[in-house]
Amino acid sequence: MKKLYEYSATELAALLRAKEVSAAEIATSSLDRIAAVEDQIDAYLTVTADEALATAKRVDEKIAAGEEIAPLAGIPIAIKDNICTKSIKTTCASRMLENFVPPYDATVMEKLNAQDIVVTGKVNMDEFAMGGSCENSYFKKTKNPWDTSRVPGGSSGGSAAAVAACEVPLALGSDTGGSVRCPASFCGIVGLKPTYGAVSRYGLVAFASSLDQIGPFGRTVDDVSLLYGAICGRDVRDATSRETALGKVEGSVKGLRLGIPKEYFGEGISAEVKASVYAAAEQLRGLGAEIVEISLPSTDYALAAYYIISSAEASSNLARYDGVKYGFSGNREGTLNDLYLSTRSQGFGAEVKRRIMLGTYVLSSGYYDAYYKRAKLLQNVIAKEFANAFTKCDAILTPVNPTTAFRLGEKCDDPVQMYASDVCTVTVNIAGLPGISFPCGKDGAGLPIGMQVIGPKFSETRLLSIAKSYETAVGGFAVKEM
Amino acid sequence: MEIDVRHIAKLAKLEIPEQEIPKMEQELSSIVSMVEKLPELVSKDSLLDPENTMELRPDVVQPSFARDEMLKNAPDTAAGCLMVPKVVE
Repeated sequence: MKKLYEYSATELAALLRAKEVSAAEIATSSLDRIAAVEDQIDAYLTVTADEALATAKRVDEKIAAGEEIAPLAGIPIAIKDNICTKSIKTTCASRMLENFVPPYDATVMEKLNAQDIVVTGKVNMDEFAMGGSCENSYFKKTKNPWDTSRVPGGSSGGSAAAVAACEVPLALGSDTGGSVRCPASFCGIVGLKPTYGAVSRYGLVAFASSLDQIGPFGRTVDDVSLLYGAICGRDVRDATSRETALGKVEGSVKGLRLGIPKEYFGEGISAEVKASVYAAAEQLRGLGAEIVEISLPSTDYALAAYYIISSAEASSNLARYDGVKYGFSGNREGTLNDLYLSTRSQGFGAEVKRRIMLGTYVLSSGYYDAYYKRAKLLQNVIAKEFANAFTKCDAILTPVNPTTAFRLGEKCDDPVQMYASDVCTVTVNIAGLPGISFPCGKDGAGLPIGMQVIGPKFSETRLLSIAKSYETAVGGFAVKEM
Repeated sequence: MEIDVRHIAKLAKLEIPEQEIPKMEQELSSIVSMVEKLPELVSKDSLLDPENTMELRPDVVQPSFARDEMLKNAPDTAAGCLMVPKVVE
């Protein structure tokens, strides 16, 4: 029999309304599941069992009193630990913020709490969201539920692993260069990186402000739609956010032109990944889509542009960690400069320091034009190429990652090799577009392969519809038995 | 490409131990070399995104955070202020 923790958020919401289960039962089932599999997965940094049960109780009381409940009421969710949660530790998986307790909620948390969503806790990530494997966490290494000797992907690895292991049906992550789509792909679930500006970034700890975006995870497209619809829209506290809403996700690709850019199927992409994505494209053609070949010639340069822009912004954003206002504080006995140096040298991990160094270098006197300005100009070129491509097609199909999940430790020694795994995802952030990742097959070892669908700005409804059409055709996405 | 790691570390307020400098230099060079292949672009376009003109909220006085709430995460405070090492004699 299907266990309660295996149900999707959409199914749980229906069961709750039919009074077949209580919110307390749902919350308990999720917390028990966390207790049962966490030693294998290591997704959580903080489990908020008491708060979760208290919220569930409130939902049950509302139901008992005959009150209307919100669509996400009583649904368990895990939150990436770089999204501020009032009175709940928010560490960014860094020693720097090990004991940081935000005095406020991020806008997305205000919206979700208003719906009485059940937050089960805060989940692991690469430190300050810098990484693609979740191995850069100061606290622990999260494992991939499909093979616990492998990484879950990153940086939102805890979010994806928690959903894939059925610890929760939903999770929030953030995506600066692929940090929602990569772990969704490695863990065989659905992840959406919304258009830049579609979701408020207020309360998301900043990494690269012009690229960061909060995004939802789920095991079904309906669940991801439900969560996206709840968090999107304009917020006066984020000047880059825009008014937007989710339309009806029809789940049809009839009449849509789907572009295949040859640059995303180059020699760096494994044969199994290519074959799976091509096969999925064929399937979409069978469902009524037209497949067209397109070209995005500047793709090769995107990775370099991404690492310049994101590291430059990171070096500025992370200047705030000075050991004075909040967070880790180093040597307070010497000069102010001693305090800065010791705080930052001991509080940040190796990858964060590397990005700060790179960002400081590309912004330093004499190098700005050669690096940062060149990268920003290239950003415009890439965005224009996408805009041009969207005159020929309605959405673009690509792989998410060049390979399936790699082994823990496999790429730790070579930053350039690690960065190269972002090659298919960074362009989306650079151009400010939405992108969705969903499972489209498995490799020889049984590890999930993800397909990415990229659309024009604010085309989330279309992307979700394409994903749903595929999901329905394959009879739903597989869930790993644990 | 030569990168003066000591100078960059000073700007970034990071201490890089002497023995790690060669490794950091090599890593930064390998990342920077990805950039060397970027094409030269000449453009009069603004570096800002014309499609994303930010919208400012009305400038209205609103309640803000309470001081003691904001100071709860501070490593050292006195009389409602943040404490730092002495900076002037």
